[in-house]
Amino acid sequence: MRVVVLCSSPYSETGCAMAAHLSQSGHAVVGALTLPTLDRGTLLRKVAQWGPRESARYAWTKLAARETSQQRTIRNPYLEKFLSHEGKTLRNLQDAGAAHNFPVFVCRDQNSPAAIAQLRQWAPEAAVFTGGNILRQPLLAIAPLGVLNAHLALLPQIRGMSSPEWSLLCDVPLGVTIHLMDSGIDTGPILLQQKFELVAQRDSLPDLRNCMIATGIELIAKALAGLADGSIRPRPQSDVDRDQQYFVAHDFLKAQARARLKTGTVFSAGKHRE
Amino acid sequence: MLLLSSTVMECWVPTPDSAAPTAGVTADPISSSGQRAPLSRRQKIVSEAMALVRRPERTLPLLVTVVGERVRSSVEHKNLYSYATTYVPTERALPRVINWIMRAQKSDGGIPAYYSLLTGYSNSYPEVTGYIIPTLYDFSRFTGNPEAKYFAERATRWLLPLQLPNGAFPGGLEHDDAQPSIFNTGQILQGLVRAYRETDDADTLLAANSAGNWLAEIQQSDGSWSGPGAYQGVAHTYYSMVAWSLAMLAEVSKTGAHARAAENNLDWVVAHMQPNGWINGINLQGYPTFLHFIAYVIQGVLECGVLRGNRDAINAAARTAWKLLRKFELGKHLLGAYSDSFENGLNFSCLTGNAQMSCVWLRLGEITGDLRYLNAALKMNEMLKELLPVHGRNAGGVAGSHPIWGAYQPMRYISWGCKFFADALMLELRAKRSLEASTCAS
Repeated sequence: MRVVVLCSSPYSETGCAMAAHLSQSGHAVVGALTLPTLDRGTLLRKVAQWGPRESARYAWTKLAARETSQQRTIRNPYLEKFLSHEGKTLRNLQDAGAAHNFPVFVCRDQNSPAAIAQLRQWAPEAAVFTGGNILRQPLLAIAPLGVLNAHLALLPQIRGMSSPEWSLLCDVPLGVTIHLMDSGIDTGPILLQQKFELVAQRDSLPDLRNCMIATGIELIAKALAGLADGSIRPRPQSDVDRDQQYFVAHDFLKAQARARLKTGTVFSAGKHRE
Repeated sequence: MLLLSSTVMECWVPTPDSAAPTAGVTADPISSSGQRAPLSRRQKIVSEAMALVRRPERTLPLLVTVVGERVRSSVEHKNLYSYATTYVPTERALPRVINWIMRAQKSDGGIPAYYSLLTGYSNSYPEVTGYIIPTLYDFSRFTGNPEAKYFAERATRWLLPLQLPNGAFPGGLEHDDAQPSIFNTGQILQGLVRAYRETDDADTLLAANSAGNWLAEIQQSDGSWSGPGAYQGVAHTYYSMVAWSLAMLAEVSKTGAHARAAENNLDWVVAHMQPNGWINGINLQGYPTFLHFIAYVIQGVLECGVLRGNRDAINAAARTAWKLLRKFELGKHLLGAYSDSFENGLNFSCLTGNAQMSCVWLRLGEITGDLRYLNAALKMNEMLKELLPVHGRNAGGVAGSHPIWGAYQPMRYISWGCKFFADALMLELRAKRSLEASTCAS
């Protein structure tokens, strides 16, 4: 299947891993549409979010990654298997593109006319979202099969931001949902879901999130294959109350979610490190 | 006049008269029946500026505040995610806010409505003195601080002699030629009921019953309050706060008339709450619908609904509260005033309204168990904590607006803002402790 990957940065590990895994799974990645490495708007948001010191470190990490990428460690260890290619580690989208033969297009806004024109030129059957802007209708309508997203919670119960944390706080089973994107927030039809049924202890929320991201990448490949052979059909969400969603969790609630993870709820998808 | 820059003057909206609820404290009080004409906007500006001429030592603090706010509003965090992190611990902010109130309290027990950067402290204001009493008792219990309890007792002693023979309390500031005020009587009733619960004082119960009887007697057959004693003579849905007070009184007086009056008004207000969350009947003629009043309606309906076991009322309050929660989470702030079913409004922050919404969300979080309410309230409280002055006379004070020259109580630190923010901080601490306990238990 002809697929385009939408990324938040050329150095996005998730974007690289997604593109690489889709290629390895037999899909034809026809291009990657990404935002720039260090977008001014993103940096300003990070300054507001983290303060100047953390933001400077973030900027340094981004910029240094271009120069010292050979020594760079993979932040999400669960993605290592996707990023390994012929004994090397794919460091960015350019590397992935060279390895798997697809072009990379950098744009300031994924909804911009230039980005839309590029997408039309690639003529994908489906697109996969790993990060970037809020997608508008013209972009959502380009690929006939739609834009797929891996949401780190079970839908329709937990829509929106900080979804693993809210799953823990609301006693909703942890899981990953692959769905088609529409104009709402995580309201599009569901393609695949996988629960994290086992319970492990001592794992951190970032570790849980990393594991879910890796699972999401695998499920996206399965969903695309299912869409191609007709074995998977989009299933509209039972609850489409678009008002009901979750928002970025306050640090206090994240700490409570962390405590709940440690005290009882554990996850496993066969990729647990212990 | 130099200090009233064009920006300040553009935003300078005169506030309603003193017969109005807490928003209506001004230097030109009139009775609810309109016996004295309010000052025009121009007269008000001149009057307040002249006060500055008489007290030039206030010039420097005014300049420092205005310049500071200007700088802050230029560089402040624009992203809500910044409020998902605690920079000022709640345990540190709460005493600061209460200390502002206790510093403002006069030796006779009355509490001024505000500290104006132009005119200084106002006279004592019976309405806020009354409904700050529960906050002081709560703080005393919460922290074991006996001083706050003493301040609450002094406030009660100051209030009792102000009661009129018919049981009502006067509107307006102390020393005004004020008439009975329905809303202010209701607000003061909150304090009297709480003071009676804390002290078992018979005189306080007598005063509370007398006030409650007056409110029940003058209620209209449809459950509203209008006519003499009502602001601008018309019925208002934000008088749900009066219904809440009556419901509180009914708990101690065991008088059916008090409970019925509360329920009748509650039904009348809920009938004005629209399916889209908008509230009709706030009826502040000539003024924008400040968030403060919207939050009053929600808070009154919610708390009265809880006390009277009215599920419809709780649901109606939750509907509007959720509407505002979404606006806050998606838009990163709430407007200071709304119109057109929340579609438009004035772009400044009404800090009191923000603190009230935080209280509402925290209570809804307790009632429904939905942690999204707690999440929004935590972020709102973070924002309000960051705006608290740390030094100077107004350390711990809550301004009417942000920026301080906004349309609601411009250039003032207001005692009811401190009251609601202290309430919100105490509710936050209670909610956090409860959640931590349940996490540990699980």
